[in-house]
Amino acid sequence: MNYIWENIFRRGGDKSISAVLRENILFRDLSDGELRFLERCVHVRHFHAGESVFRQGEVGVGMYIVVKGRIEIYVIDPSAASEESREIYITQLLNNDFFGELSLVEDNGRRTATAVAREESTLIGFFKPDLMEILSRRPAMGTRITLRIAEVLGRRLKETTEKVSDLRRALKDLRPPPEQDAT
Amino acid sequence: MIDPRSAYIIRRERRWRLVSFCTILVLSAVIILAIEGMLASCVLAFVIAYLFSPIVDFLERRGLPRGTATFLPFLIGGLVLGVGLTLLLPLVSDQLGVLAERLPKYQADLAGLISSIEAKYNIYLKAGQLNLTEKFNAWIVDRTSSLSVALPAFVSQSFTVLLLSPFFAFFMLQDGNSVARSLLSFVPNHMFEIALNLRHQINDQLGGFIRARFLEAAIVGAVVWIGLQALDFPYATVLALFAGATNLIPYVGPITGAVPAVLIAMVSPEIAGQTTPALTLLLVTGIYFVAQLIDIIFVIPLVVAKIVDLHPVTVVVMIVAGAEVAGILGMMISVPVASAAKLTFNALYSHLTNFRD
Repeated sequence: MNYIWENIFRRGGDKSISAVLRENILFRDLSDGELRFLERCVHVRHFHAGESVFRQGEVGVGMYIVVKGRIEIYVIDPSAASEESREIYITQLLNNDFFGELSLVEDNGRRTATAVAREESTLIGFFKPDLMEILSRRPAMGTRITLRIAEVLGRRLKETTEKVSDLRRALKDLRPPPEQDAT
Repeated sequence: MIDPRSAYIIRRERRWRLVSFCTILVLSAVIILAIEGMLASCVLAFVIAYLFSPIVDFLERRGLPRGTATFLPFLIGGLVLGVGLTLLLPLVSDQLGVLAERLPKYQADLAGLISSIEAKYNIYLKAGQLNLTEKFNAWIVDRTSSLSVALPAFVSQSFTVLLLSPFFAFFMLQDGNSVARSLLSFVPNHMFEIALNLRHQINDQLGGFIRARFLEAAIVGAVVWIGLQALDFPYATVLALFAGATNLIPYVGPITGAVPAVLIAMVSPEIAGQTTPALTLLLVTGIYFVAQLIDIIFVIPLVVAKIVDLHPVTVVVMIVAGAEVAGILGMMISVPVASAAKLTFNALYSHLTNFRD
């Protein structure tokens, strides 16, 4: 499991835009009125199969929530020997999953992976200018969303740290023990 | 790997979206430029919308619905403008009346001043070579006649602009975001994030720029008014309004704003009875200088520094180009338009060179 890209908050089912927003962990604290306001702030985008949502290295300004379809996440390894092995598959994201939320808090941060629609997909885009508008017009609502973003990023960081620790332990176990002096 | 059929569909949709988006932009620009008074109405509407938007957002933050939050500043602004005009108009009209009465005298005095300078320097030049007095008189006649032709058209156009612009501004504040979102929905997916971010940046910077320019104009106008009143200089209100309005034009504006007062001080030294003519001229120049100093030291670093900076030569070239295309309005909007163009170019350039690896 990849803790940065995998949805650790996943729930299933095909839903409408408002239902998807309501179910998302970032907007769970919002009232009905605030959700209606949010619906007017977000952007619904449709992607064809094979179309990239964003590419690794581009400047990202926001996150996407999958309403319908399937998104695959890849990392490009420039040092790979062949063209085929350059794309390292990370995970796939389905309905209600979200990705790219780090860009909401980064300043001109670059995308660390490539996201590609693998079938006809509908995504909800929620970007930094939208968050700024909410913070400017409805600060209480904006603060609740920002706190949830911080919580999600914190959880991802914690999961990743634990994973790195596990890998280090596993790596240590794999190393041969230091040779005893035969004297 | 993406199959050729999908790649073709994606490319075709991107092309159509881009064509639709550009067509909407071009058509809007054509309509704005083709209808008389529409450009000025839109520019003024943008200015009003940018000036009011922090107040509207503040009222919305206080819990008012967007419609009420938008309507209230227009209501209060209308009342303030009405009261202000009621108080200011008689004063301005009195001062303009006196100025119109004395204008032939100022013209004669100025012509006399020019001929005395000409006589003094003709010793060094061939007699009658400059003909400055004749040229000045011809220029005055030309200006006066062109003003008498342009004034009725200007007044009727201003009436349309003043009626339309608050109406447009109200709907920009009320529904501007929805309209922008609808327009952005035409942008192809691969350009969507940069377009959205660009719109946000331009909006932010233009808003800051316009609010800063109006704050500067108000401060300069107020300092000039206080200074001229203290000096008991005639037409203080008219001259202060003129200085404030011309201050909206960068670089050229502050000098233009000072010219009428300096000329009046030069040709009518008797206006400040207790001082000498040279001291009056010095004091009047000093007032305009102090107003600009306050602007440069306190206002510009605090409020204007954040806006996208253009080289002074670029600014002057843009002002001249603006004046050629759209007169005084062109001079005022050329710098924000150039700033927005620079921002757009920089963002697109970085996107094309850096963002896409």
